[in-house]
This record gives sequence, structure tokens and C-alpha cells, in this order.
Amino acid sequence: MHENRSVRKILLLLALAALLTAMSACLAWGGADARALLKESENRHRTRTQQYAGDLTVVNKDGKVRKKGWKSFREGYAGDARNLIRFTDPPEVKGVGFLSLSRSAGQNPDQWLYLPSMKRERRIAAQDRDASFVGTDFNYEDMEEFDHEKYKVALQGEETLNGYPCYVIAATPLEKGGKSVYEKKILYLRKDILYLLREDLYRKGEKEPTKRLILSDIQKIDGHWVARKMEMSDLRKGSRTTVLLKEIAFDRPQAVGRFTLRNLNREGGD
Amino acid sequence: MTSFRIAVRLLILLLLIPSPALAQGISGYAEAKGFAYDGRSNSRDPWLLGWGTLFGKWEERVGGAQLTASVRGEWITSVERGTLVFDPADRHIRRAPLSVRDLWVRLPLTPSLDLQLGRFQLGWGKTDGYSPADAFLPRDLSDPFSDEKLPLWALRLSGEEGAFRFEAVASPVTTPWRLPVLGSRNAPLTVEGFPEGTVFNELDTPPPWAGFAALRLLATFGEWDIGAWGRFGVRPAPLLAFRFDRATPTSTGLVVPVERRYAREEGVGVELSRIVGAFVLRGEAAALFSGDRDLGNAYIGSLSLERGFGDGTLLITLAGNAKTTPVDASLLFDRAILPVLITAWNRTEEWGEWKLVWTAELRHGDGLLKGEAGYNLTDLWKLTIGGELPYGSEKGPFGTLDAARRVHVALRRSW
Repeated sequence: MHENRSVRKILLLLALAALLTAMSACLAWGGADARALLKESENRHRTRTQQYAGDLTVVNKDGKVRKKGWKSFREGYAGDARNLIRFTDPPEVKGVGFLSLSRSAGQNPDQWLYLPSMKRERRIAAQDRDASFVGTDFNYEDMEEFDHEKYKVALQGEETLNGYPCYVIAATPLEKGGKSVYEKKILYLRKDILYLLREDLYRKGEKEPTKRLILSDIQKIDGHWVARKMEMSDLRKGSRTTVLLKEIAFDRPQAVGRFTLRNLNREGGD
Repeated sequence: MTSFRIAVRLLILLLLIPSPALAQGISGYAEAKGFAYDGRSNSRDPWLLGWGTLFGKWEERVGGAQLTASVRGEWITSVERGTLVFDPADRHIRRAPLSVRDLWVRLPLTPSLDLQLGRFQLGWGKTDGYSPADAFLPRDLSDPFSDEKLPLWALRLSGEEGAFRFEAVASPVTTPWRLPVLGSRNAPLTVEGFPEGTVFNELDTPPPWAGFAALRLLATFGEWDIGAWGRFGVRPAPLLAFRFDRATPTSTGLVVPVERRYAREEGVGVELSRIVGAFVLRGEAAALFSGDRDLGNAYIGSLSLERGFGDGTLLITLAGNAKTTPVDASLLFDRAILPVLITAWNRTEEWGEWKLVWTAELRHGDGLLKGEAGYNLTDLWKLTIGGELPYGSEKGPFGTLDAARRVHVALRRSW
């Protein structure tokens, strides 16, 4: 009888230990740690400015290939980013410009598109954030930098991608973070350098990801990690857009007034 | 073999050589376009029309300065094309076969102040389809369905201070609006009141040298865009003077000379736009004042709603003039279609893009349906097919163009 009680106590203690272990594991994979990881990732990869020239290739489901060239300038990072993009070729999009200016939390960024044929800018309404960005598989929301403060985040586990162990983080857009096209984003963060390797994008009401962004060819340039190749796949349409970054530079001083509407409207300008 | 034939063969050879698009400073296109018409309004209007265009543009940076030059050569199988004369300012009444489109330099005076001078295009209007702020800019209406903006010789100072922007433009030389040939399918005149067989002889009246000056102020506050502008000087859209006193009878009918004159006009306008839910809402209003008896004053307003659907845009614009024009509105080209409702829908597709436009003139109930689809053969070759269908009352500006119903096919090679 006494022995039975001892066995029960031991079993109870073991059960408690197992429960505590499970709880601590849950806490370790809970929202707080995901936030800490994303904060640390932002701290490590934040740059004052970034600029590059890029080649963009759109391949539709039938394999038809369209190529575009662009230049991109960015000041700030994530929640305070200001971004200017100018297409350089082919002729049908040459001179098309895009300006995105972050606003305070709770508001979507201000975005404008400059069309040379109209000689003026056109404002992008928040509801147009799902529209294709100049015929690519990126939409206007995809052109914004990921700002974890606009999301509820939770660590879902770990996975290995292309030989790199990754944290898997679910990010759900917060209402107060502004309107989003997506219901959820699953981020794959490389553990050793806390750099994003993959992003699965779930549109509202979808159980399967509708788009997938894969970042690869990651190199250290001017002391900063950067993915030289980004590929956005539309898993429903079967098309994909690949961006190859060239002439990458960090922390270069940007021209005064570069991230302004006046500059966006400059024909032949950056 | 003539030099023209040699040039054409060299051009065809150049177009057939595969080459990547140049990211540097030279770009352009060659386009062959064909129109097939539903009817003829007179013996001058053929059933078929050919249109060839060669356009080249050069852009260069020298330090902080931006230089741009472009030239367009055209060959048109109709009377719309003028004779080969040197006309860099587009001051003649017909399209020049060879014309300078851009020739400008932009100099940064300070980090927030630019000076641009030369020949360039302006675009001020917020509303697409019809904008009172753009109405004073010279236009080429020789093809009334394409409504092309003309570049002008001007000096422009533009700057920015915080949320505020400004543009000051002085155009010392008038670039006049270009009008379709009077009595052709593109500008038919009501025969009522004229003897049968009357022909209008347009005189190449020289436009005045003096142009106009304008100032525009803009500000952006969150989702609001606010603007105001004012201008004074010569209105580039001419007033037509039918000289019946100098009409001469011929064996085929009466020949009436038509002169052009250019009135002074002052104007002020305001513009306001903001994002409202799923829409971008824009409003413009302008008050135009002229002492000219045939032009008079005008109070023009426009309101537009724009909404994105996927990667397409639906745009609805309503525009009208609160004041009756003292002469037939069709003789005041920037007011001819008012009041009007314009609905435009465009989308890009994997294969290219398409657009549909429906313009309804509200006074006579006539209108215009336009559609176009462009298929991207490659990044550099594009095939476009489309058509224009004016319909309705012959008393309205569109219904009267029923002989201009047409379909078109175009093949463009860009570089």
C-alpha cells in the first residue's frame, strides 16, 4: 500500500515535470520569443540606406518570359522605410516610377505611381494593394518592407530549408497595422543570421498559401547580408517573378529630395 | 533606287535584327498602323488609311543636369499630314512629317529647385479623360479619337518645401491646337445653311508669338491632395472665322475661306483629391475669363472616381460647363464635348492589356465607344487591334462623326 503511494507520487511528479517542460517549450515558442527574434533580425539587418539595380523576369504559366530592368533606392528600414523605384527597360515601362513612404503605425504607407504617358503621378488607394505591381507577381503590399510591429507573431517551430535550420514564424496582420491583403504570413528565418529565406502568403479566407517568396544567393556586401535573388511565385496562377539584384550599395548618402513626389514626377530622373 | 527606298530597307533590316532593350539613353519605336473605315464622308476620305511612325529619344545626364531630345517621323496616307517644312514649334495647321517632340534640359538650381527649359509636354490635370487644368495645353485633334497632347516651348521652375510644391511655367511661343481638316470625316460640318458642294478653304493663319504663363501650387496632407492654379495669356485653341464675305463660287460649289484667331483668356482653378475607401476621388473646378465676344467666360467642373480591380482600373469622370458658350460649342474645342460622362476600364493580362472607354455626351445623347487590346508578341514587339464607334444624334459632337467609325491594327517594335 505504502509502495503504491510512492509510485503514485513519483508518477505525479513525472507528470508535473512533463507538463512544466511542455509549458516551458510552449512559452519558448510563444509570441514573445518570435517578437524577440524579429526585433533582433531587424536590428542586425537595419541599414540607413540601400540602393541597387535589378533585373526582373516574369515567367507565366505557359513559360512565356518578360524581362524588366529597374533601379531602387531606399532610406530607413521596415516601419520607417521610404522607397523609390524607377524602371529602366523595356521601352513600354521605361520611366515608370513608384514611390512608397511609410506612415505612423496603423496607417498604410502612401504610395504613388508615375506614368510617363500621363506626365503625372497616380495615387495608389489602400484597396489597390492587391493589384499587380507593373505586371509582376508582386502586388503593391509586397513592395512594402515587412514591419513586425504591424503583425501578431508566434513561433510555430523549426524547419530546415536548403540545409539551413530556420525558425518558422506565423505573422497575422493586426487591424491597427493598416489594411492587409493577407490573412497570414509564414516566415522562415535562417537561425544563424536571422535572415528571411522564405515567406508563404495566405490571402484572406485561403487555407493554402497563394503566393511564396523565396530569397536566395545570400551574400555579405559592405558588412550586410543581402539576398541577391528573390523569387515570388503565384501558386494559383502558376507564374513567377524573379528579381536579381546588381550593383548593391548600403549606407550611401541619398540625394536631397529623392523620396519626394516632385522627384517622382521628374521625367528622366531617378 | 531612291534614298527613301534605301532608308526603308535599312530600317526593315534593323527591325529584324534581334537585340535586347537598351537600358541606356536611347529608346524609341517604329510602328505601322492601318485604319479601315465604315464609310466615307466625301471623296477626300478613303476607306483605308496607312500610318507609319518612327520615333527616337535620347536621354543623358551631365552632372546634375538632365538632357532629353526626341524626334518623330511620320508617313500618313491622308491630308492630315502637312508638307515637309521645318516646323520645330508645331505652328502649322497640319502635322509635320518630321517633328521635334522633346528638346529640353533640366538644371537643379538648389536641391529643392529645378529649372527646365526647352520643348516638353506638360500634364497638370488630376482627372483623366477631361481636366480643366489640362484644357489650356495645346492638343493635336487631327485624329479626334487619339487626342494627343502637344509639347510646347517653355521655361518651368519647380520646387518643393515640406508638404508644398509649386510649378511656374512661361511659354513664350504659342503652339496652337491642331484641328482636323474641316469638312472631312474627322470634322464634318452641318451642311444646313450652306449651299450643296460648299468647300472650306482653311488658311494657314500664323498664330501669335506670345504664349501664356501659369502658376500651380500643390500640397499633400495625408490622404488629401490640394492644388490651385492660375494662368494668363493667349489661349492656344483657335477660334474659327468663316469668311463668307470672301466666298468665291466655283463650278463645283462655293469655296469659303476659314481664318483662325487666338483670344486672350485668364483662368483660375482648384483641385482636390483624396482616398475614400476603395476609391480615389478627384474634383477640379476652373473659372475662365475672356473679353472675346465668341469665347466669353466658362465655369468648368469635373469629378472623377477611380477604383482598382485586380491589376486594372475603372475610372468614371463627369465634366460640365455651368455657362452656355456664346457660339456653337463645337467651335470651342476644349468645351465641345461638355457636359460629358467618361467611363474607362483597363486591365493588364498575362498576354498584354486591354481597355474599354465609353464617352457619353449628355446634351444630345450621342457618344463614343472605344476598345483596344494589345498583345505582347515579345518584350519589344506588340500587336494592337481596336476600334472606335461614335454613335447617336448628328447634332452632337460624337454622333456627327459617324463616318469616322473604324477599326485599326498596329504593329510596334520598340527599342
